[in-house]
Amino acid sequence: MYIIIVGCGRVGSELAKLLSAEGHNVVVIDRAQSSFERLGNTFNGLTLVGNGFSLGLLRQAGIEKADAFCSVTNGDNTNLISAQVARKIFNVPKVIARVYDPRRANIYTALGLDILSGTILFASMIRDKIVESRFSSYLIESKDLGVLEVEVKDDLAGKAVADINVPGEFMVVALRRLAGVTIPEPKTTVLKKDILLAVVKVEKLDAVKKKLNIQNG
Amino acid sequence: MYIIIVGAGKVGYYLAKRLVTGRHTVSIIEKDKALCEEIAKDIEAMVINGDGCDPDILEEAGIRRADVIAAVTGDDEDNLIVCQLCKELFKVGRTVGRVNNPDNERTFSELGVDVPVDATMIIGKIIEGEVSFSDFVNLMSFKRGRLAIVRIDLPAGSPVINKQIKDIRLPDDSVLVSIVRHDDVIVPKGDTVFMPGDDIIAITGVGNESQLLAIFYGKI
Repeated sequence: MYIIIVGCGRVGSELAKLLSAEGHNVVVIDRAQSSFERLGNTFNGLTLVGNGFSLGLLRQAGIEKADAFCSVTNGDNTNLISAQVARKIFNVPKVIARVYDPRRANIYTALGLDILSGTILFASMIRDKIVESRFSSYLIESKDLGVLEVEVKDDLAGKAVADINVPGEFMVVALRRLAGVTIPEPKTTVLKKDILLAVVKVEKLDAVKKKLNIQNG
Repeated sequence: MYIIIVGAGKVGYYLAKRLVTGRHTVSIIEKDKALCEEIAKDIEAMVINGDGCDPDILEEAGIRRADVIAAVTGDDEDNLIVCQLCKELFKVGRTVGRVNNPDNERTFSELGVDVPVDATMIIGKIIEGEVSFSDFVNLMSFKRGRLAIVRIDLPAGSPVINKQIKDIRLPDDSVLVSIVRHDDVIVPKGDTVFMPGDDIIAITGVGNESQLLAIFYGKI
């Protein structure tokens, strides 16, 4: 894919390195030349100095053939404008903007932009860790459902997945063992030391933990 | 009318002052606290210290009953976001946004700012008109660039000299607004006769410039 990243701070540079290492064509735009030092010397994409919503610079960055565009500077407004320019003026198929302010994030999400708010994400990640260290709700971007990690001990070992599931409340969706991670069938038998990943209703988390005899973590 | 101004720099300050004199109700939102205090002493308007991009601050300023929002900070991103929030979230009827960098003018229009005001471009064009020998100057574009106010400085050799307005055929969507002759402003009528040195102000649809040039200069 041809991807344009605006903002070469910690997030932008990390993202650029990640995507570039996976073989994507990456162009990074930042206002300061010195920011590109974060990319290290293994980054083989393009770097451009300037304003991430300047039409001329974006054309120079090849936005007309870009498959994806993300704006991850530390300025909410810059990101919101850049993302809208990419989407409305250049019709880039996939556009993502980072927004710190939760309220602005919600407003612009409602207006149809694809927004990632580190603030909301991070707060909910920390909330999850406080409530239950093996639980995360941010994975499915929902405040109602989360993913719980369960290590199989004696009381569950030997049971079939179908017998562990509780319809509408708790559903095993992946099984991790030495051989790798698989999607289990209802009849799959779980073994001691298997790690189950299950989707759980947040409001049922305590009941599920009690039922499966999971210690607080 | 109730008008909210975001940004109390030079532009915001003079705008507020003029509007208050014109008996409009004005509120000003400004990030800088010291500037707020200074302005509150000077202008009869509600002054709110805060970020105009924050919907809570806009609500505090009474955005829901505002007729117009004018975002005139020195930051194009801020001006754009203020206008968008007011339009999309608070359904303000008219949003005016100051364009600091002329490169962003199109972005303002495309992202829904009703009236982008590009002062740099306007001043630039006026100065260009004053210093250059170009007699045809585009003073200002509006309606998303579809209409323009132009100034035509009539040279002595113009084919319309000594002709009456009714005898020349203007392009369909062009109107002569005024003629400045020496110190007089003449409102053009059918029998007004063109003289050398007339400064003609016209409104025209964009794309008609070459036709106007042909009519007033006899060349393209």
